[in-house]
Amino acid sequence: MSRVLVVWCPDWPVTAVGVDAGTPGAVVAEQRVAACSAAARAAGVRRGQRIRDAQRRCPDLVVRERDRDAEGRLFEAVAEAVAELTPKVEVVRPGLCAVPARGAARFYGGEESLRLLVQDAVVEAGFDCGAGIADGLFAAELAARAQGGQGGTVVPEGGAAAFLAPYPLSVLDRPELADLLRRLGVRTLGDFAALPSGHVAGRFGPDGALAHRLARGEEPRPVAPAPAAADLSVRDEFDPPAARAEQVVFAAKRLAGRLHAGLGAGGLACVRLAVDVGFADGHVLRRLWRHDGALSEAAVAERVRWQLSAGRVDESVWGGVTWLELSPDQLVPDEGRQEALWGRTAVTERVARAADRIQALLGHGGITRPVLVGGRGPGEWVVKVPVGDLPPGERGDGPWPGRIPDPAPSLVPGPGWSAEVTDASGAPVTVSGRCAVSAPPAYVAVGGGPAAPVASWTGPWPAVERWWDAAHARRRARFQMVTGEGRAYLLAVESGRWHVEASYD
Amino acid sequence: MADAAPAGAPPMDAPCAGLPVLPALRPLLPGGLRPGSAVGVAGPGSASLGLALVAGVSRRAGEAGGAGEADAAGAAGAGDGGGWCAIVGLPDLGLAAAAGMGAAPERLLLVDEPGERWPDVVAALAEAVDLVLLNVVERPAAPAVRRLSALARKHGCVLALTGAYAREWPGTRLRLRVADSEWRGLGDGHGVLRGRRARVVADAPGRERDGWLWLPGPDGAVTPAGPPAVGPAGRPDRPGRPRLDVVA
Repeated sequence: MSRVLVVWCPDWPVTAVGVDAGTPGAVVAEQRVAACSAAARAAGVRRGQRIRDAQRRCPDLVVRERDRDAEGRLFEAVAEAVAELTPKVEVVRPGLCAVPARGAARFYGGEESLRLLVQDAVVEAGFDCGAGIADGLFAAELAARAQGGQGGTVVPEGGAAAFLAPYPLSVLDRPELADLLRRLGVRTLGDFAALPSGHVAGRFGPDGALAHRLARGEEPRPVAPAPAAADLSVRDEFDPPAARAEQVVFAAKRLAGRLHAGLGAGGLACVRLAVDVGFADGHVLRRLWRHDGALSEAAVAERVRWQLSAGRVDESVWGGVTWLELSPDQLVPDEGRQEALWGRTAVTERVARAADRIQALLGHGGITRPVLVGGRGPGEWVVKVPVGDLPPGERGDGPWPGRIPDPAPSLVPGPGWSAEVTDASGAPVTVSGRCAVSAPPAYVAVGGGPAAPVASWTGPWPAVERWWDAAHARRRARFQMVTGEGRAYLLAVESGRWHVEASYD
Repeated sequence: MADAAPAGAPPMDAPCAGLPVLPALRPLLPGGLRPGSAVGVAGPGSASLGLALVAGVSRRAGEAGGAGEADAAGAAGAGDGGGWCAIVGLPDLGLAAAAGMGAAPERLLLVDEPGERWPDVVAALAEAVDLVLLNVVERPAAPAVRRLSALARKHGCVLALTGAYAREWPGTRLRLRVADSEWRGLGDGHGVLRGRRARVVADAPGRERDGWLWLPGPDGAVTPAGPPAVGPAGRPDRPGRPRLDVVA
């Protein structure tokens, strides 16, 4: 569990438009009060009120339109004041920013002294604020707002649940859930946290489970990949423009070294690397490279070379390369090699290299791996997943009533392979709503070809799918037929039209 | 071993055993597929034959025929029981059928739409996988063929060629085809496809082998089948409907 320090500036939208806490003021959006100053609140102004009601309660209310740009712009000053003391400031939203507290607290001699130091720095910069430290962002925000916004507090490690227990459910910011829980007799976060988590997940879904984790003082979700921070990408300029690929590849090697140093310092690995190559005429060649381990410097350089050759770069056309940028695209905590990306079978080095080269030629989806999944028709049995992407869940083990029995067909064309099935008199064979065949099929013509006699056949096998969903409902009747030439087909008739679903070539 | 005459330059690191094939195909291809060679798969039934070759190379460890035969041990790159295969330009192939024959889908790579870059794609794959099943959709240019053949020989990769221009590929010494076949299981409005009894012919220069196989059998696997019964053109193992008897 990470220790987080949160700096919270009360009534930030009001501060941002230049109204100080002592003046009764309100910021409005869509004719309703979005935020108000402390003085206005004392006079009875509340969020969500209509302007007219607010002015009735507080006749000398200063009313301003909400200015989101100014909120973000002005908060930069707060973020900078905090960054003077400890780097890695994350702005959660204007008015609220967070920093990891553990290292900084060690440096400044304890969490309480860090909290006071940060608070003083922001107040010196000219903004009222509260600062709080707790386990996780949610508890830390409430800690910063504790004691009426006058200072905030430090919640000891492991004490988040006890600290959160007396808060009302409204702090979860989920009005529907809070309303439902109140009617069930659950009024505080402590009551909510006491419910068994399995039942909460079953009754309230994933969002309810997330709120439950918050109420128990846990992280909202297990460690998730963090978005790439901007400063981890590395860039190199070429002046004059690099005319030869070797020059760019050499620079890429050096850049990769810097990238790895930056990632290693943060204890991170990147699952996907974006390589951008800029040309003198403004053209930018961008590719994402996914891989299942650490990309060595040579491997990065090799990918840049492939990218240049795959683009069939001709420097006379684009005027040479002027800049090169590597940015880690999906960061995960460095836990060593990620076998899961490739399923259980480890991909050998040379297969991964070949796949990368083909992705450079044809794009990310150009090379795929098949994954067997459940389904009724042969077209649903296989999902193709681009190499490097996560496969869908495990094979659905059914049951799939009406599944086409083994052996599986060897050709499964996409939709659009039409067929004509006629009876001995040349009339089209139809299937009635009660699955009665109009006449035994005698001839089948596949894909507009000549009609072949039907030697043997079976069917109809009705397949009624998604009848509860009018937009996706399908009614089909399937047949297996063997022609006189010894070819076997799986045919289906749907809305009076025949098509070939699969061929047993 | 079969077709010992080398097509062009001798293999660089010639292993004497070939790539493994399905047990049912061993009588037709004794010693397996020669690494670096090209195999033509054409005509009706080519999809099933191509999948059978893929299945033979990529079979899972547990099923790799523990009979201790020489060819089972000689699988190039059989680090974890089976080799890697790639299928280029055949988006319609029924991969569930390959799995039914014993292929391991996690060791298959598919390039559905290589377009005009197919020589580059095959060149990249030939260095990495043990067998490339390629749909030859245009008359292959001689330089591309020479380059790919050389790469395949160098890395011991078998090129299995199918499609309209597979016959135009120079240096193909072994061709597989289905000569006679008969589907079993369907009656006149009843039954279900149970399998195909097929006579598969392996054409190598100066030697032609053939054998009857279930391609596929009722469970999707490829198994040897005896020669057809000489009786009337009926259906010896037709499931048919059991005759109803009066019991009360």
